[in-house]
Amino acid sequence: MKALLKIGGACLLAAAAGTTLFPFYWLVTLSLKREVDQFAIPPIWIRFHPTLAHYYDIFWVRPFGLYFLNSVIAASVSTLLALAIGTLAAYSLARFPRPEVSFWILSTRMFPPIVSIIPLFLMLRWANLLDSVLALAVLYTAFNLPFVVWMMRGFFEELPRDLEEAAMMDGETRLGALWRVVLPLVRAGLAATAAFCLVIAWNEFLFALVVAQTDAAMTLPVGIASRVTQYEIKWGAMSAAGVVAMLPVFLFGAAMQKYLVRGLSLGAVKG
Amino acid sequence: MRQEASSLEACRPGLPASGEQGFVNIQIEKLGKRYGATHALRDFSLDIGDGEFLVLLGPSGCGKTTCLRTVAGLEQPDEGRILLGGRDVTWLEPRERDMAMVFQSYALYPHLNVYENIAFPLRVRGQADNEIERQVEQAAERLGLAGLLKRRPRELSGGQRQRVALARAIVRRPNAFLFDEPLSNLDAKLRVEMRAELKRLQHELGVTSIYVTHDQAEAMTLGRRLAVLKDGVLVQAGEPEEVYLRPACLFVAGFLGSPSMNFLPGRVDGAARRFVTNGISIGLSPEQLERLPDGAPVTLGVRPENVELSRQPRQGWLAGRVYVSESMGNENLVVVEAGGHRISCRTIAEMRLDFEAPVWLLFRSGRLHFFDTPSGKSLWP
Repeated sequence: MKALLKIGGACLLAAAAGTTLFPFYWLVTLSLKREVDQFAIPPIWIRFHPTLAHYYDIFWVRPFGLYFLNSVIAASVSTLLALAIGTLAAYSLARFPRPEVSFWILSTRMFPPIVSIIPLFLMLRWANLLDSVLALAVLYTAFNLPFVVWMMRGFFEELPRDLEEAAMMDGETRLGALWRVVLPLVRAGLAATAAFCLVIAWNEFLFALVVAQTDAAMTLPVGIASRVTQYEIKWGAMSAAGVVAMLPVFLFGAAMQKYLVRGLSLGAVKG
Repeated sequence: MRQEASSLEACRPGLPASGEQGFVNIQIEKLGKRYGATHALRDFSLDIGDGEFLVLLGPSGCGKTTCLRTVAGLEQPDEGRILLGGRDVTWLEPRERDMAMVFQSYALYPHLNVYENIAFPLRVRGQADNEIERQVEQAAERLGLAGLLKRRPRELSGGQRQRVALARAIVRRPNAFLFDEPLSNLDAKLRVEMRAELKRLQHELGVTSIYVTHDQAEAMTLGRRLAVLKDGVLVQAGEPEEVYLRPACLFVAGFLGSPSMNFLPGRVDGAARRFVTNGISIGLSPEQLERLPDGAPVTLGVRPENVELSRQPRQGWLAGRVYVSESMGNENLVVVEAGGHRISCRTIAEMRLDFEAPVWLLFRSGRLHFFDTPSGKSLWP
């Protein structure tokens, strides 16, 4: 009975892992297959002629390098800005609570983003920021801010006030106490929040599509989608770009894994 | 990190060097603090002399911690002001007052090891590394932490954490030490040990200290002076023995001493020259009669150690029965039911008493207290 349960459990896990991992396998292999092999029936699972032609295509024929750079700039700048501003806001809301302000901040995330597209478009045009990565960074910052504030406020509330008060008694200013005592203690929370912000900004499509009008401001998601043209769908190029788009987030996630688990479970159990 | 400390220092001209002021007394003037509708502190005034060890005593919620935090600068008062060495510091930041505080939770920085915890106040002040090392080692030596400097706070026992918190306070020479119930998280044995050490430490350093506690034993043993608070109001301040022997009101009389003072509400019968309560009457001296209003409701107070107990009937003693007797090893605490009152008294350990055993009590006449029942104010002594 016990053995049966064990086998059943393993099968279940294998099935779950298979469903999760298969798309990745398909994406990676597709990006390495020649076009004739891509949709061969029966499918060629392993023994195909690998080619880097699609990677060559996206980086040397198409400006995916630029898209990649744009994505990196928009995502990292917006993440840093949102963290810097949001953490300060979250700290003050945690220590000097104003429920109505907190709720208002959260409420800005409650409407569907598409609602704000037209006013934002007009504002950006007026500010002469259309078709610029800066505009994307600013927009992503604005959209990640409420999230950062709510996440970080929770982490700060968990932290006993005594610690920062001790730091202030020891001669720190409040900001000094935040920097030297409070922030090091919420590292895990910061990492988890940063990861979320980065992923959200990295994958964002709607705003990028509206803001980017030329290659100058095009990010990876929009760039990949643009491989679907009127006459053909560039499966190979799209897969290669998909792999390239996946990699940084994957690496970041792996590096932050230790913090992510702690950050996500922080606050789950009082201790 | 080091670089940062010194650059921070450069933009902080207001931060005084430790121990800059020579004579540091603390004057608290008419301090008031409200939280919503509740008064945490009301018209609280107290002078704490240079080098004095003052204990603020009171039940939880009496405002003693609020008072300490206001002196520290962690809270702002609604009224009144605080002078430090004659300088008004009411609206200054904690760091500008340069006081050291030991928290009930110890508030050690969990991400720093013991050395860095103790060094923290010195780093903030941008002191040189070798100077920091010397001072940290000195403080650690003094508190027996020399072998623990590399450990993180979570790897320490409660007593060791307490020592680290103390070391962090004494590593510099602050204007004052503020203690917020620092011993209440320790077990009983360690608490008594640390209490004695703390007293010695304060004596050696001679730094003005305010110590907050709800433990009357700590208050009695530690303080050179004692201030008792109730509902945000200072009810009595004085030397511990003075407060113990001449409590200003029923509250102080009941709060100090364990087990607490016996109270018998009754009235003075001037014609009979006696204090009477149901079932009990006690003769009064001419001096007492002069001070106690005839016929008015008066409460008699007598401490357990001032009640004598006899197993044999004696002339003029009060007859009663043992309600419960507890052996403490070195003495017995006996509660006797007499005249509808329960009266606790201390006896020698050898006296074994059963439930309901008949006993006779005598209140030592020189050690009686009388209070005005409605106001609780002391009438005698």
